[in-house]
Amino acid sequence: MHRRDWLKGTSTAGVALLTSRWGLAADGAATVSDRFPKLAEVALNRATALGASFADFHIMQTDSESLYVREEMVQGVSANSKLGCSVRVLVDGAWGFAATEELTEDALRRVTDAAIALARGQVGWRAAPTEIETLPAYEGSWELPIEIDPFTVSLDEKVEALLAINRSALEAGANYCYSYLLGVRERKWLANTFGTRVEQSRVRMRPSFSVTLIDQKQGGFASRDSLLQPRAAGYEHLRDWQAKDEAALAVEQAKEKMAAPSVSAGKKDLIIAPSNLWLTIHETVGHPTELDRALGYEANFAGTSFCTPEKLDTLQYGSELVNLYADRTTPNGLSTIGWDDDGVETKGKEFHIVKDGIFRNYQMAIGQAALIGREGGSNGCAYADGYDSIPIQRMPNISLQPGEDNSVTTESLIADVEDGIYVEGSGSWSIDQQRYNFQFTGQIFHKIKDGKLDGMYKDVAYQGNSIDFWNACDGLGGIDTYELGGAFNCGKGQPGQGAPVSHGAVPARFRRVNILNTAEESGNQVAHNCDCSGGGNSWA
Amino acid sequence: MGLTKSEFESIGDRILSQIEADSAQLHLRQTEDLQLRSANNDITSNGVVDRFRIDIQVSYGKRSASIEINQSDDASIRDAVGRVQQMAKLAPEDPEHVPPVEPGEYLDPITFSEATADLSPEDLLSRMRPVIEQSRAADVDGAGFLERSVTSAALINTNGLFLHERSTGVTFSLTARTSEGRGSGWASTQATDASKLDLATAGERAIQKALASRNAKRREAGRTTVVLEAPGVRDLLSILSWNLGKRNYDEGRSFLNGLVEEGDKIIGSEAFGKTATIFSDPLYPNAPCSVHSGGIPRQKTTWIDRGVVKNLIIPRYWAQKLGIAPVPGPGNLIMPGEGETTEELISKVEDGVLITRLWYLRQVQPQTLLYTGLTRDGTFAIRDGELAEPVNNFRFNESPTNVLRNIVSSGIAERVQGSEASSPAHVPPLLVEDFNLSSISDAS
Repeated sequence: MHRRDWLKGTSTAGVALLTSRWGLAADGAATVSDRFPKLAEVALNRATALGASFADFHIMQTDSESLYVREEMVQGVSANSKLGCSVRVLVDGAWGFAATEELTEDALRRVTDAAIALARGQVGWRAAPTEIETLPAYEGSWELPIEIDPFTVSLDEKVEALLAINRSALEAGANYCYSYLLGVRERKWLANTFGTRVEQSRVRMRPSFSVTLIDQKQGGFASRDSLLQPRAAGYEHLRDWQAKDEAALAVEQAKEKMAAPSVSAGKKDLIIAPSNLWLTIHETVGHPTELDRALGYEANFAGTSFCTPEKLDTLQYGSELVNLYADRTTPNGLSTIGWDDDGVETKGKEFHIVKDGIFRNYQMAIGQAALIGREGGSNGCAYADGYDSIPIQRMPNISLQPGEDNSVTTESLIADVEDGIYVEGSGSWSIDQQRYNFQFTGQIFHKIKDGKLDGMYKDVAYQGNSIDFWNACDGLGGIDTYELGGAFNCGKGQPGQGAPVSHGAVPARFRRVNILNTAEESGNQVAHNCDCSGGGNSWA
Repeated sequence: MGLTKSEFESIGDRILSQIEADSAQLHLRQTEDLQLRSANNDITSNGVVDRFRIDIQVSYGKRSASIEINQSDDASIRDAVGRVQQMAKLAPEDPEHVPPVEPGEYLDPITFSEATADLSPEDLLSRMRPVIEQSRAADVDGAGFLERSVTSAALINTNGLFLHERSTGVTFSLTARTSEGRGSGWASTQATDASKLDLATAGERAIQKALASRNAKRREAGRTTVVLEAPGVRDLLSILSWNLGKRNYDEGRSFLNGLVEEGDKIIGSEAFGKTATIFSDPLYPNAPCSVHSGGIPRQKTTWIDRGVVKNLIIPRYWAQKLGIAPVPGPGNLIMPGEGETTEELISKVEDGVLITRLWYLRQVQPQTLLYTGLTRDGTFAIRDGELAEPVNNFRFNESPTNVLRNIVSSGIAERVQGSEASSPAHVPPLLVEDFNLSSISDAS
């Protein structure tokens, strides 16, 4: 069959997408997934016959549903489903990759040939051949445990949940609000020439809202976004969220923020809540310790890293309190999965990136460990964000481990601060291409005076150098203060790929961090004479 | 190459014939992408990826839903149509619902090039190889990305709309880094027609910037005069364009509200400097774009004319509520330059900084459209009208508003790729005063 015929739907090789079991054939008699082994055989045998030393075959289906509610208007009800497959080959040390949404043997032969041609086209002018380690062959399946499949929950129930959030915000005095719900299910089937055949399924949820207040008298506005983080979970993640209460609180906090004094720029101690610190971990620890970055593979887009291989086992990344742990097995972790997209089993591959403050290991995909002389091969950090994406090294869940003293709470950390800020919620984030200079904002900046919370600041950003920052950490909450945050779509690669990843954290204290006044940064003159009261509008 | 108009019509008819809803709109897209990525002077990844997307939006009265799938067989389409109709029936009424667009008068697009569509994977490899060899010969580590895309798309609805457009694009960028890691340079080139893509010149610019940026001297942060090369200008203009919505302004939650006194209107106000002129034009030869946005015809639209705000983006519902015509968002951004070379811009600077490129731009303060970001891949001190030496990179905290108020002069416009947006743009480098370089970045 020609692709043109397939596009026009004149083929009989139908693949209905949207039924509960993936790849269920139109007649319901047999599943398309029953055909996967045969399709894999076609692709892998052809790749091997054409000279591939390694090949893998991925089938992936990504289903998503999203709802958007503005005030009390349901303005976005949408679903998305994409199913397709790819073939990756390694020929004479060169990769080739091709993908299609056609799940037919003809298409697989065409795609395999295209991948082989891309690899062969590099033969004779490569400077260094790509080499990969041999991986064990696995057969099995893995499924993220969830309580309620979000795709089985009625639209009515989901819409009502979001409307209730917005009503709560409007009743509390918001001028505008929106709420949003995104649920995603990934289903993957992987076969490779090592003999692996594995099937996996996982679900993730991202509920959120934002409220906005307008100052009708003086002009200006303030917003406050929800603090709940996305999670690898079922609908229970939304069900268990006290969203209406948080929406009402958000409105009160936005009012307080609008009236708060503008912060004085300079050095202050920070207590950072997990709802903000997860993103700081992501940017200042997650990305710098990707080995492909450190080796220059991302130089043309995401950048390189200050964390170069000669610093392994010597760099004092943070104070000795700081332990940052990486895994793809954390319950509810957005990066959690059974096997990575290179076919590496993730269980048993957990590792410390930073142990007792010292930089100990990188995140790696297949073929990378040997480049820095590390034994043991990949630590399971490959991911492709769709059937049409080549697997690249992506972040595992990376989390700040709790302090040893379980009695330490947010309050006890605050109690040891004379002049500081307690930061909640993530705002904007930016960091340089080698991950030295960062600048972050947040949702709520509580003023700390003499060990106690004393109102709010506005116009706050904290800025610093990654290594200086982590070495300024002198207090960590205990295990009871641990929370899981995360990103639904971390960007990397060319063409760009989005990856979900979680970051657990405890509240942490950092001494003498550089605070910017964002109003002053934008060129406005700001009076700080209200900085001692915890209230009042300080716009000049 | 790509499905023909009649083939799209046939697929559209097949889907619409199954629709029972009051109204429906289909967006069908076929893309053929070729990609080559390199690092350390070798190809590291690549791809030949064909895609087909079917987006179906249906409405029952004011109840609507949409679905997107990538399988085109009868069973998948039947399943998708059934599901999206079921979703729409269950959805609450949206008071702001607008029906599918009526057919309008559309310009003939100029976004397609046979030369680009005909490129094969072998063609891309043969174009990439000399640039990689160029990097090897210069003893720099080159990391690049060459991408060719071909799109054929149709927008079809139950009001009789049928719009078929084809487009092509080819983009190349290279980051060259000196082997000791202390010098970095970047350059890019982008075209609709691949025959106009000059990889060698872009490669040479990146390499020379890398070599020139070694051994950067320390320069303190602070507000200063900068020559901002076109890629950075493009990023800032993109940010501005995303925030030109009339509805947010009318609701009092736009940076535009802070640019006018109470009682004054933003349209017609001189909110920016007199040298700031920005428009979009689907037929702009060097950076064309689609002739419609969701079926609304695009024409040449001036956003800012010599500092005066001329138009804001007005979505269909808001336009209907106000009783005015909708204004689609820009599909491209054009800023005519004054024609000075970058060297001539530099010659006007007594003490300042040349910035090659901006990176990781994020909003800090929506009230003032304050954005933060960083310089990268070639930052140089300017003294007494000449490039003096490479300097450290900087974090900036700055608003496009301030930039457009502080333009001293502008250079020769070119089509450029930015860090934050992919739509076509043709903009010049700018000489800008009082640019807020907020802190030093140690990145090199």
